[in-house]
Amino acid sequence: MTIYSFYIFDRHAECIYNRRWAAPPVPKSARPMSGSSMTSNGDHPAVRKGLSREDDAKLIFGLVFSLRNMVQKLGGDDDTFLSYRTAEYKLHYYETPTRMKFVMLTDTKQNNLRVALHQIWANLYVEYVVKNPLSPVEHPGGIGVANELFERGLDAFVTAVLPS
Amino acid sequence: MVVFCLFIISKSGGLIYNREFHAGMSKLTSNDYLMLAGSFHGMHAITKQLCPVPPTPVTPLSVAGAPAPSPFIGRPSGLEVLESSHFRMQCFQTLTGIKFLLFTEPQQPNVDVMIRRIYELYADYVMKNPFYTVEMPIRCEKFDRGLDGFVKVRS
Repeated sequence: MTIYSFYIFDRHAECIYNRRWAAPPVPKSARPMSGSSMTSNGDHPAVRKGLSREDDAKLIFGLVFSLRNMVQKLGGDDDTFLSYRTAEYKLHYYETPTRMKFVMLTDTKQNNLRVALHQIWANLYVEYVVKNPLSPVEHPGGIGVANELFERGLDAFVTAVLPS
Repeated sequence: MVVFCLFIISKSGGLIYNREFHAGMSKLTSNDYLMLAGSFHGMHAITKQLCPVPPTPVTPLSVAGAPAPSPFIGRPSGLEVLESSHFRMQCFQTLTGIKFLLFTEPQQPNVDVMIRRIYELYADYVMKNPFYTVEMPIRCEKFDRGLDGFVKVRS
């Protein structure tokens, strides 16, 4: 199991925490060159290099926000969006009652991580960020979220609960 | 086994077919369906962009079975399965960019086989219909009947 990245968004649609784990080394046997003639469509992998972390976070927020709205429209108000999968990765989603959104990108073999994301919220975020007397109530720009205890707890959680 | 509905989205993001087989999802106006199809088209493109790993390079082994190497291997695939607490949506994009969305129960097995069979029906009854213009809403009675038969036999 591989975890690629993890994001927390607050209710003001701001990314207050993001974390990436190193991707496994790319196999040297790259794609055959014959594919390069077909890149006129614009959605080839090279597009990825132009995006920064912030742009990625914005894209992910917009995406999960729209997917969540679509799911609610189609399935009724009590329906919740859980995850989606492509051939390359899987995105897991958990939303707290206070509209904080926890998003995790993993490989495709991972089962649904809603429970794990809930645990991250309950055992790490609430314990180390919400209950921290020095951290503000809201976290504009991510102030107070990325403290040492939270980061260490997250690392320990990821290695213990989701072994690679 | 329950299949809720089927959407077909053209390569430019327009909804060209929608059909409900089984009640269970909210009823929306046709305008809403059109809007959802359009926004799904955009979301599908974003899921391609977000790919954190380069797509797995083709090994000679996996190519051996295919009739001809596709120019699309080595590209990220975009959203394939979406899960929610009430339904599961399988998206199948053909090489020509048409998307088939099939909404089923969350614990439905073998949806990918079903969706390929629906693609076959589409190829047989819609693409081979001389009165059908591409990118236009699908109004083919035989396709409707074929779908009905197929979905009923399986449920």
